[in-house]
Amino acid sequence: MDYAFVYDPALSQYELSDSHPFKPVRLELTKSLLTATGLLEDKHTVQPYPINETQLLRIHQKDYVDAVKAVSKNANFEDAYSYGLGTSDNPIFPNMHEAIMRVCSATTTAVHLVASGKAQRAVNLSGGLHHAHADKASGFCVYNDLAVAIDHAVKKFKLRVAYVDIDAHHGDGVQWLFYDRNDVVTISLHESGRYLFPGTGHTYEIGKDAGRGYSVNMPLEPFSEDVSYLEAFEAVVPLALRKFKPDLIVLQAGADMHRYDPLADLALSVQGMSKSYQRMSELADELCDGRLVATGGGGYDPFRTVPRAWGQLWAAVTRQELPKDIPAAWRKQWERQSPVELPETFADDVTLWKAIPRHNEIESHNRAVVKRLVNTLGSTWGDQ
Amino acid sequence: MLVQDIMTKKVVAIDPEMPIVDVNKLMEQRNIRHFPILMNSQLVGIVSDRDIRVVGSEHPRAQKGVTLKDSVKKIMRSPVLTTHPLDPIEEAAKVLREHKIGAMPVLDGDELVGIVTGIDFLEAMVKMTGVYGATTRLEVEVDNRPGGLASVLDSIAKKKVNVSSVMTTRSDPDAVHFVLRVNTIDGRGLAGELRKEGFEILWPTEKP
Repeated sequence: MDYAFVYDPALSQYELSDSHPFKPVRLELTKSLLTATGLLEDKHTVQPYPINETQLLRIHQKDYVDAVKAVSKNANFEDAYSYGLGTSDNPIFPNMHEAIMRVCSATTTAVHLVASGKAQRAVNLSGGLHHAHADKASGFCVYNDLAVAIDHAVKKFKLRVAYVDIDAHHGDGVQWLFYDRNDVVTISLHESGRYLFPGTGHTYEIGKDAGRGYSVNMPLEPFSEDVSYLEAFEAVVPLALRKFKPDLIVLQAGADMHRYDPLADLALSVQGMSKSYQRMSELADELCDGRLVATGGGGYDPFRTVPRAWGQLWAAVTRQELPKDIPAAWRKQWERQSPVELPETFADDVTLWKAIPRHNEIESHNRAVVKRLVNTLGSTWGDQ
Repeated sequence: MLVQDIMTKKVVAIDPEMPIVDVNKLMEQRNIRHFPILMNSQLVGIVSDRDIRVVGSEHPRAQKGVTLKDSVKKIMRSPVLTTHPLDPIEEAAKVLREHKIGAMPVLDGDELVGIVTGIDFLEAMVKMTGVYGATTRLEVEVDNRPGGLASVLDSIAKKKVNVSSVMTTRSDPDAVHFVLRVNTIDGRGLAGELRKEGFEILWPTEKP
């Protein structure tokens, strides 16, 4: 099998609440879109195999896991708040422990398939819960499926893993979990923490102790657009990946850097996002025999944007090309549920978008940050 | 925040008879720019790296005839401006700024208990504006009257969102501008709801 699409309808049970912006319906929307285009076939689909709790406890503290289990059964658990549970971001829902274990299993399955050589590439769109900490839920994320899966690749297969996070938000949970390690590099491109949650991800966060030089952060100005984003991507991501020489790349492909996303402030188009997926595919070919695992993540415009973006992600990962138009049958299937009009093409017509004020300042600011970051990395790596 | 929260507690003090050349060496070794000078445990002066750098030079502030072999008491500054461990840091910062000096010894009665330098104030500022825990920036402008800020905080609390830091960045007579750090990823959602309730939210702005 060349390409695996890890999927189980039960993965949609990671639904925080009815009114919550994190919408698992994104999975069904993307899967049906890809099936309609012919790019996703039954032969690609793999059921996740369950992980055990020992694997989870290599990343999360036992008292925290116990707390999640307790609230899963009884929402009146007293200490919930100190674990970040029962907040507006991370409301408690029945059987949440089981639901998130399933997501961790799915991402670990994707990594296992690629690390063991059973597949060259694998995708788990339900994964990407990059804000979860060792002892705390944060930003819609309860367990860190990415860290559990990366740890599996390192421990079981002795692989060097490069984690690339292109979600609009800083990949803080994964960064802190591997901050002092040199067998995993974390690279995150995101809207600056000065403006956006979680507030971290500055250029000077470069790792500590043995991990010094193994955390890379490229914060971007709010309202950055395709050209400036891709310029920063190209200046930072290949440089850090070539320096690290990974055996496996794990890509967190949150789809919230799009102009329509209601939570973040970046202003990319689907075709701009697609270019970054293409580049990740090429870099995996260049550096690690194509081995690539991609997950979902953020993305809060579930009908209009996320399926198109993740459609492009699957196309890039599987080296296929999407048609120009969205299949009419898919639009018909979903139009009644969608609160907005569904687009007719995969690409956005950016000529319809209003110009971003301060466009030039944003571009030159991003360029200055890239320069500062590249200098910092150069001198850090030079010391070693 | 008080001076005792930001001061360096392990102070390296020197004797007035120490030769300037040795003081210079000690500064280099310990990477310290200011030494309080004690005689019989009493603070009698202070010397900075700048005072030492001009010794023997043509610099207008250099004292004629003093060489590196002389004792430090010849160039030390006295009386010394000092602060108290329970002084608020903004008071101490004002003194440093108004007198254009780099450091102040901290005295509790006659006892030297610490030293604060400009770097300690920068550190304090970084801490005050810093981000602890994962949070989102929310900027609000409220009327400068009782309950102005409280009404915003009250509304945020009702939405089960915690506020982990509050800063004032500017104020005019009628309005006060606050930067809050709130522990939610959905800052735009929160801002939208607060706008609907009539609050003036400066960040996040509406998307163009």
